[in-house]
Amino acid sequence: MRRLLIGLTAGAVLAAATACGSSDSSGSDDKDKASGGTTTIKVGVIPIVDVAPMYLGEKKGFYSKRGIKLSLTSAQGGAAIVPGVVADQFDFGFSNTTSLLIARSKNVPVKAVANGVASTGKQKADFAELAVKKGSPLKSAKDVEGKKVAVNTLNNICDTSVNESVRKDGGDPSEVKFVEMPFDQMPAALAGGQVDAACVVEPALATIKSQGGTSIASLFVDVSPDLTVAMYFTSERYAQKNPGMVKKFQEATAESLEYADSHPEEVREIITTYTKIPDTLLEQLTLPRWPAEPDRASIERLAELGQQDGLFDKAPDLDKLLP
Amino acid sequence: MRGVEAVLLRLLLVVALPALLVVVWWFASDDSTDVYWPPLRTILTTFPDVWTGERLRGDVLPSLLRLTAGYACAAVAGVALGTVIGSYRRVRAVCEPVLEFLRAVPPPVLVPVIMLFAGIGDTMKIAVIASGCVWPILLNTVEGVRAVDSVMSETARSYGITGPARLRHLVLRSASPQIFAGLRQALSIGIILMVISEMFAASNGLGFTIVQFQRGFAIPDMWTGILLLGLLGFVLSVVFRLVERRALGWYHGRRDASRRSS
Amino acid sequence: MRGANALLGASGLAAFLALGEAVPRLGVVDEDYFPPTSRIADAFATELADEAFWTALGDTLTGWALGLVIAVTAGILAGVLISVTPYLREATASTIEFLRPIPSVALIPLAVLLYGTELRSVLLLVVYASFWQVLVQVMYGVQDVDPVAEETARSYGLGTWARIRHVLWPTALPYVMTGVRLAAAVALILAVTAELVIGAPGLGARIAVAQTSQAVPEMYALVVVTGLLGLLINVGARTVERRALAWHQSVRGEVAV
Repeated sequence: MRRLLIGLTAGAVLAAATACGSSDSSGSDDKDKASGGTTTIKVGVIPIVDVAPMYLGEKKGFYSKRGIKLSLTSAQGGAAIVPGVVADQFDFGFSNTTSLLIARSKNVPVKAVANGVASTGKQKADFAELAVKKGSPLKSAKDVEGKKVAVNTLNNICDTSVNESVRKDGGDPSEVKFVEMPFDQMPAALAGGQVDAACVVEPALATIKSQGGTSIASLFVDVSPDLTVAMYFTSERYAQKNPGMVKKFQEATAESLEYADSHPEEVREIITTYTKIPDTLLEQLTLPRWPAEPDRASIERLAELGQQDGLFDKAPDLDKLLP
Repeated sequence: MRGVEAVLLRLLLVVALPALLVVVWWFASDDSTDVYWPPLRTILTTFPDVWTGERLRGDVLPSLLRLTAGYACAAVAGVALGTVIGSYRRVRAVCEPVLEFLRAVPPPVLVPVIMLFAGIGDTMKIAVIASGCVWPILLNTVEGVRAVDSVMSETARSYGITGPARLRHLVLRSASPQIFAGLRQALSIGIILMVISEMFAASNGLGFTIVQFQRGFAIPDMWTGILLLGLLGFVLSVVFRLVERRALGWYHGRRDASRRSS
Repeated sequence: MRGANALLGASGLAAFLALGEAVPRLGVVDEDYFPPTSRIADAFATELADEAFWTALGDTLTGWALGLVIAVTAGILAGVLISVTPYLREATASTIEFLRPIPSVALIPLAVLLYGTELRSVLLLVVYASFWQVLVQVMYGVQDVDPVAEETARSYGLGTWARIRHVLWPTALPYVMTGVRLAAAVALILAVTAELVIGAPGLGARIAVAQTSQAVPEMYALVVVTGLLGLLINVGARTVERRALAWHQSVRGEVAV
């Protein structure tokens, strides 16, 4: 009897598990599944404020009216998205500009197709700041010389920009000690005194500010007021095979970006659908800007700085990368 | 002469399969143009450039030191706790749910929590390694201690062997095959956690280097790192087996003796 | 006996929860980053009311169960085969030792390349991690076979299959059971970790979203869910073990239930 019970329970658990699991599309490799003239495309995104236009555009029908059905997958970061795009697991992906530049310099076949997110261009009012905790003795960028600064990824956009801020403030960037940790751990690390400053983006930035922390430099603005921080990209193979689809995706994304840029309240609303940002922080968020096109001059500047910091052996070919 | 042949045969057995696999990999990947699947030829030619003496000193050594420290903490804690929990049924009943609860928490989630208490230095990394390694040791010790032969137990009692002597000669000794099974599993878990702990707030280490290569799209270099991890695990397990043979000599000896006598 | 055990276990858990409440309240760590038990419980209740949470739970359990079944089956088969075939153990030892320590985490880029963020990615990592747990335990267990019993069986003319069935298997079973229990725990950890890092649907992906959203209590609530799952899985595995090993020394001392 007991044995039967155990068997039944085990069976029930399995059945329940399969029943309440989300029915994934049975992994068919048919990329252009035309169902009633719509094509489903997979986009790898990160669950942060930056990708709000995608969700908003999907909701507003900017994609569906062009026959595109978006399937958005949240990954932890570029480490999973770039390989996913190159191996055709995703059709498009979202990645910061420096990562794409590094990939390009190593001949990873990525091609940017649309703008992702840009700096607000306003000093001390950007969506990413060099932040310190309440009552910190550090007052400006050059004060981080010899101090520990948290960045989300070493040898990437954060440390390149921090170096530039320090340089502009008359300091020596080679004296800065960078420590790598995820953005979401930075408020705790700052409060606990494990790092002295942090290159931090929203919503972690809002947490720091809500605890009395302040910004000592707007690092992205220091690189370029119109800095293109991230872009949507695809693989060269996909771009060659599906030029029509890429074009439609670009148009729809441009429309979504413009709409998001001019409707901040709707952006705040859509954010609650794919993140769990608490309401108290949601009001405080500094939204980024979403220009329709990437800003080439700012990307060139980022590439120069990257080369200066030794991120690439040779300068990446921007013509191959940019749309 | 027979001895030499036996040694040669053993050597052949050890080398044959890996060699075969390497050959298959070499030819299967040789014309690969995929960024993420470089030919083995490329990986092997990058190996010496990447893992120079300086890098071995600066990255592999710190990793190994942290691994050793974390593993040692876990071994001491696991055996000590396991002996207590295995010996007293009540203690086991109280502790088991909490321990199982903690064990199921994935290390990447645990790292931020440990960071709150242990900062971001080596202490944190050692704590992360120890927190993962302790489970197989603890579990196996509990099982081993519970399974102490009741006849032996009674014998010890009737001879008045109690306290530390009983613990050393009876309990730990008869549980040691299982404890070693746990220690061995903890070793591979330790290497995994060494890598995970170095993904957070690290500035050196083997895991850290692999992640950096991966992020910087230095894919062949990343592969050399993965190979080195495998090699490291292999060397550690050989060392472990030597230690085990010494420590459990009586056990294997008893088996062999009964094999011979039969 | 059973009830007393459950009671003791509950009291242990209660003490643990009280500690979780006290540590942040006493100011040992910052409440914002390590919320007290009561706040986690609030978030936990909110989670339970969310339909998406149950879907995620189902996804994680599906990955866990499938991965575990594959790993245990393969581990037992491979373990017995390697142990009973002459020379195979020696021939595979070095390869096994080389492959085992390669962290599943290092295979994440590989999994993404092969399967993207589908269930199969999670399965690859889960199976890879838990397979070795079972295999090593099986091999240890087979090693533990009493040579006298083996010789006796041989002299009675039992065939290979009968020897495996009546001599090898009963001896190895306690080891295999421990292996399965370990594998069950490891499989869960890996399923959640894979979801967390790759972004495959499930509890892990929800944890990642909570983390990046600065929703600390929700994050801890989900971690608690993972812990509770581990607890349930262990209770299940223990029950199965007790049934399968009712005749064995380590269980004999317990009052039959």
